[in-house]
Amino acid sequence: MICVKTKKVVLKVALLGDSAVGKTSLINRYTEEIFKESYQPTLGVNIVMKKLKINDVDVQLAIWDIAGQDKYELTRKLFFEGCAGALLIYDLTRHSTFDRIKTKWLEDFRKFARSDGVYIVIGNKVDLKNSNTVSSEKGESLANEIKASDFIETSAKSGANVESSFIRLTSQVLENFSDNVN
Amino acid sequence: MIGEYRGEVKYRVVTALLQAYHDVLDFDGMKSILREAEMLHIKNIREENQDLYLDLFSFKKIISAQNCLLFDSSMLLFEIGKKFSFYLFPYGKKFEEIIHEINSTIITDWKVEIIENSEELITVSVQKCIFCSEIGVPCEMFKGFLVHSLEKALPSDFNIIHYGDRENTDHPEHNTFVLKLKIEKKY
Repeated sequence: MICVKTKKVVLKVALLGDSAVGKTSLINRYTEEIFKESYQPTLGVNIVMKKLKINDVDVQLAIWDIAGQDKYELTRKLFFEGCAGALLIYDLTRHSTFDRIKTKWLEDFRKFARSDGVYIVIGNKVDLKNSNTVSSEKGESLANEIKASDFIETSAKSGANVESSFIRLTSQVLENFSDNVN
Repeated sequence: MIGEYRGEVKYRVVTALLQAYHDVLDFDGMKSILREAEMLHIKNIREENQDLYLDLFSFKKIISAQNCLLFDSSMLLFEIGKKFSFYLFPYGKKFEEIIHEINSTIITDWKVEIIENSEELITVSVQKCIFCSEIGVPCEMFKGFLVHSLEKALPSDFNIIHYGDRENTDHPEHNTFVLKLKIEKKY
């Protein structure tokens, strides 16, 4: 994180979760306001920059969309270096992806990212309400249990809560490091 | 990106760099850097004549994009540097030859030279390193390049320990530095 007197900050944040939970779609929605129906798995890591302003602080967000497939297990830990925050994402229609938030993604984030990193639990694909297998109560309960900063249900397809999730994460990271910014 | 970047870079340098990105970050990682640099059109440069030259400004756009996206990712930059060395000089070359060639394949206002060379210690001076000229960017990538370039020129039972002065990346001339490479036997 760079903090200069002009209140400009560069932050590295990651999107974590099993494959096909919608990590890339959330980034596409947030940075380009688009949604693609077809699924194309991320190969390695997709990194996108996004500028935003939060409480007079100019933030340049380096968003790391880290591939969820097991074949990247060995190299993935290098991607976490310097990560100040993460969105821990599961697919509301696939319970297994919810289970892995705690057993896999949170564990990796705690082990390899910054020790003071913050994270938010995201239940994605809320537009597929009829197929949901993970209730909002379960999501909230998990977020409380793992001491996440927040729990948000999103839809990359409709755009619901996508921007606010990134803003919330960035605000939380800034709050965490406020001493460096001022 | 501000400033004048005069010079040129052999295509094979760019090819080696892209291959290094591909190895460490995979296809989407490589694409992310080229997209950020607005240089996606060179992603298949390996199919071109490798003795052609790319203008330095374009090359510097790639390096700047790399440093921007891989901010706070020193370990990855170091790994990329090692792979860059591996692909640029794949065959058994002496360290001295590699240093000579890196100066002649990236032609601009910079200089890499060996200023001390003994059996146990090699000291390299890097002036105006083009891989880390931005404020706030440590030169892990080129350090990785130098470490691996020496490593692969030695028998496998030798290790390289690298060190140098503490780097102040906020200083505008932090891209001029001295790196010491200590050669140690593993056992």
